[in-house]
Formats: sequence, structure tokens, C-alpha cells
Amino acid sequence: MSGALLFIWALALVLGGFAYVRRDGSYGEGLTRAADQLVRVMPRVLMALAAAGFIARLVPSELVGTWIGPGSGLTGLLVAAFAGLLVPAGPVIAFSLAAILLHAGAAPPQLVAFVTSWCIVALHRITIYELPMLGWRFLVLRLSASAVLPLLAGLMAGGVVLAAGRAPW
Amino acid sequence: MAWLNLGGAVEFVRVRLGEAFGPVFFGFAALAGLSAAACYVLLGAEAFAEAVARDRDLMLAILPRMLAAVAVAGFVGVLLPRERIAALLGGNSGLRGLVIAALAGMVTPGGPMAAFSFVVVLRGAGSDKGALVAYLTGWSVLGMQRILVWDVPFMGADFSVLRFLVSFPLPILAGWIARQIPIAPFPPSAPDSAHEPTEPGR
Repeated sequence: MSGALLFIWALALVLGGFAYVRRDGSYGEGLTRAADQLVRVMPRVLMALAAAGFIARLVPSELVGTWIGPGSGLTGLLVAAFAGLLVPAGPVIAFSLAAILLHAGAAPPQLVAFVTSWCIVALHRITIYELPMLGWRFLVLRLSASAVLPLLAGLMAGGVVLAAGRAPW
Repeated sequence: MAWLNLGGAVEFVRVRLGEAFGPVFFGFAALAGLSAAACYVLLGAEAFAEAVARDRDLMLAILPRMLAAVAVAGFVGVLLPRERIAALLGGNSGLRGLVIAALAGMVTPGGPMAAFSFVVVLRGAGSDKGALVAYLTGWSVLGMQRILVWDVPFMGADFSVLRFLVSFPLPILAGWIARQIPIAPFPPSAPDSAHEPTEPGR
């Protein structure tokens, strides 16, 4: 855990160093973007996390376990991938939902399928950005090319979990 | 209207705070309050205290990570050599093009506006449909900023690593499949009408 933290901070320092030695305002611009992002996102992330923590305790875990828990198999993967399609919202809501499901007993491979299908589809992104900027033909092409990815990611994750012999979480 | 005289700085802060504490924030705050109350009433004081303790630990763990993640995203956003990537992806870029596009998508920070704008740039530079699909899939499924800011804090490092590993080949695969599908995404008859400014959101 602290390894991941060290890694991100090292990355931030190295990138900051690169920006600094360019002496063309990149450093200040990068910091401004970072501060901008932080101020905009932090408050709602904290609230979403708090809500997710409480809701996870309230969700009936038998139900989640039956549908997308360990042992729900291929059906569970398909159910999770389909559920991911139906989340027309940004990362705060999508990952809050995934965290709630995780703590309520969903299996990680099923959640990989869920997150992947949300990443690929995210309906709000399609309607606001993709259709206006790239058109429906491109959308059809991209979605047809990506249709198998959530299931594939879920199956591979299942394989990794099986090969590891235990769930590492 | 004295604040207007202070110029851009005050306006900047005002707009950012307006976004930070906008409807989404209050929506989540209300949800947190309601679910906390429901937790206390339905499950009792002990379960409530446990949930509070877990939430607190999680937030303390996330703060330092999030600081670093937004710094990484900010610097990458400034340093990313967008023109050079666009030049590499022009024309027949082969498998190498798919890999470059997927990696470029992975490191592109920012929301959909940044990613889709770059797709329009790539398309103008002559990238083929496979590279465009690989780029967008790399950005959406493997985007580093999304993983660092959202995936790791909410799902834990183990889950994020698992998802990252199994998703790594996906953008390249999607780009390859897109090349096999006989759909011309941008008919030559109307090359530029597709990204004419359109009412967003409908």
C-alpha cells in the first residue's frame, strides 16, 4: 500500500522536475491544473466515499452474493457487465457503486466486468461528447469492436484469481 | 461589485468553489447523511461506529494519494507531446500504431473533453479507425488518472492491479477488431460535418 503511494509521489516529483527544467512555464501550468482538479473533485469524493461506506452496510449482501458473488460464474459476469452499461454517470458514482458492491460480497472478476463495461460505454459521455464530436458511425464501430471486452476482462480476472489460488484481498 | 476589480483570480476561485460545492457535492452529502441515519437506526450504534471508523481511515489513506495523483495528471497534461504522437499515428501505423495509441490513451489525463478533442486531432492527422478506437479504449479502460484517483481509493490496490493487468491487452484488441469491421466511421462525402458544434447533452 505504501509502495503504491511512494510510486505515485516519485512519479509526481520526476514529472515536476521535467516540467521545471523546461523553464517555459510548464511547471506553473502543471501545478495550476493539479490544484484546479483537486479543488473541484475533492469535496465530492469525500462525500461519495462516506455515502458508499454507509450504503455498503445497508445493501442486502445475500442478494449481491447470489447475483454477482463468487460462484455466480459466467451468468454473474454477464449480469455485472450488463449492469455496468446502465450507469450513465461519471467516475464518482460508478466507482462508489463498485465499492458498495465489493463490500456487499460481489466477486472481483465480476466487478472487473462491471467497471470495464462502464468505462467503455458510459452513456452520458456518448451523448454529450462522442456523438456530437465523432458521429454515430464511429460510435457503432467502437462499440462493436469493444463488445466482447468486459466479458473477456472478467474471464481473465477469473483466471488470475484461480491461478493465484486465493483471493488476495 | 467590488470583487470584479480583483480580476481573474477571484473569479477563478469563485467558479472552482462553485463547481466543488455544486449540486453533485450536495447530492452526495445528502446521500451520506441519509445512509448514515439509516445505518444508525437499522443496524445500531456499533455498526454505525464501525462504518464511521472505516470511512475515516479510507479518507486519510486517500488524501496523500490524491494529492500526488492530481500532480501527476497536471504535469502529464502539460508535458504530453501531442503533436509528435499524432504524427506517429498517421497513415498505416500497423500493430505498432495500435500500441502507441493505447499507451497515449492510457497517459492522457483529464475528462472526456480532453480525450475526444485529441481523437479529433488524430483523425485530422490521418490516423486510421483502429488507432482511434485503441486510443479511446486505452483512455477509458486504462487511463492512469482514473485508476489513481478513483480505482485505487475506492476499490483498493489489489483490485486495481488485477483490473489493470487483465485490461492491458484490451485496447489493442479493440483497435485490431475495429480494423476488421467493414464500417467507414467518417464517410468521405461529409468529412467535417461530424464535429460541427452541436448542442451537447440534447
